[in-house]
Amino acid sequence: MNETIRMQISAFVDGELPANEAELLLRRMSQDADLRAQVSEYLEIGRVMRGEASVPGMDGLRDRIGAELDYGTTEPVELAADIDRPRRWQPLVGIGVAATVAVAAIFALRQTGIEPSETDALLADQVVESVEGDSYTVPSNQDVLRQYLMSHGEETSNLGNNGINARWVSLEFSQEVASENPDDAEIEEADEDAVPQGE
Amino acid sequence: MMSRATGHWQLAAALIGAVAFHTSAALADTGSPQDWLDRMADAVQSTNYEGTVVRVRGGEAEYLKVVHVVAEGVIREKVIAQEGNGLEIIRNGNEVHCILPDRKSVLVEEWDNQSTLFSTLPSSDIRFGGDYDVAIVRKERVAGRQAVLLAIRPHDEYRYGHRIWLDVETGFPLQTHLVNNGEAIEQVKFADISLDEDIQISSLDPSYSIDTFTWIAHPVRGPVQPVESDWQATELPSGFKPVLVHAEEMPGAGGLVTHMIYSDGIASVSVFIAASEGADIKGSSRIGSTNSYSVSTEDFVITAVGEVPAVTVRQIAASMQRR
Repeated sequence: MNETIRMQISAFVDGELPANEAELLLRRMSQDADLRAQVSEYLEIGRVMRGEASVPGMDGLRDRIGAELDYGTTEPVELAADIDRPRRWQPLVGIGVAATVAVAAIFALRQTGIEPSETDALLADQVVESVEGDSYTVPSNQDVLRQYLMSHGEETSNLGNNGINARWVSLEFSQEVASENPDDAEIEEADEDAVPQGE
Repeated sequence: MMSRATGHWQLAAALIGAVAFHTSAALADTGSPQDWLDRMADAVQSTNYEGTVVRVRGGEAEYLKVVHVVAEGVIREKVIAQEGNGLEIIRNGNEVHCILPDRKSVLVEEWDNQSTLFSTLPSSDIRFGGDYDVAIVRKERVAGRQAVLLAIRPHDEYRYGHRIWLDVETGFPLQTHLVNNGEAIEQVKFADISLDEDIQISSLDPSYSIDTFTWIAHPVRGPVQPVESDWQATELPSGFKPVLVHAEEMPGAGGLVTHMIYSDGIASVSVFIAASEGADIKGSSRIGSTNSYSVSTEDFVITAVGEVPAVTVRQIAASMQRR
């Protein structure tokens, strides 16, 4: 894929493409089957077909379409009906252009032989499965996980990677450690109330 | 004769080109993204600043007052939480005192990065390679200052994106977003800031009289030793490479644990391999943008931890095998 187009698509999905560029990009997609295919590849729609839950950018794409249509969340199935009457888009540039993106996404799904409604159902199933699968249970041994997080935070900070998150996670755990394990501390006793200086 | 459709297509292509050119020209005076990352790295290490930071995570916002001074190469910093337990972080060089007034305690730690808030943004020597796009998006105002928005966008769902608003005048980061599928999952933003102004050293002193507080040394990590491990991830997401492996003594995990780190230059994932009788953890957990996932084999518990989406730690942990 052309680098400029790829970056435009990426920016569009994130809602950061200027309106005039977005409109032209959408118009181009409505007229260029190859580009639509490339977009679908970029968005890795194929991941859905392989039974994987996440479709990068798809939620953002739908929200963007919905926002442009002022419909809230766009229903791809309804928009799919527009595939058969492209001439009606012409006078309604704003709506028509936005709809073409949904059409493009649906088109890409149909290339795989699965109807959008089936795909939505597949997505919905996967979302439920994903939520149930992850469920973010409290680990049974927080002390071990805590050590892992602190070790990860320290080492990745040393590497200069994303350390702000790791650092704050470590700090939060440190505070918990201070609260829960006072016996582990190296210590001088406190026997007076905290008094803010200058008060 | 050119068909109407072809004519429209060519017109659209020409317009896209014209708009792209116009946009590029408008941002040309701002320099390349790499230039801005270089400026940011310099600014973070050398800029004195004072201001109020809003940190938004998981739908909750916390406000922090920050004073940061670099004098003769030594970082001095004070961060005060404006709500909650009144946490204060006082930093002098690498020594950090985390003051917990409600517990009358001071945690003593050693940090070797450059700043509590901003030292670890993606640096200019990161490998963007084929895994991220980096682009200047637009100019806009943040904290009353003109800023350039820099976007670092991943090509897949295995890593987060970054948005960084850099002060046009100094290159200092005024706002950052950690982005997952187009959604900001963690934000740090200056609500107000004074850059490179004379800052009274006394403003770096603790707000509390802490002489009578309980001082707590941060739990010392166990000894770390280099090892050669025969473990490897067989399904690493694109761009992730092993950057570190060592063995680490972790009493809570039953002794010696193999610790491997994979990185794509921006995102990092640690993999911990412990004897199964020591590390009794399984499944997923998440704190903010940090995810972890543990799987068990007959003899080992393998845990992947990182500031990456859940799918990444899950895939890496599940694919760990011995050669």
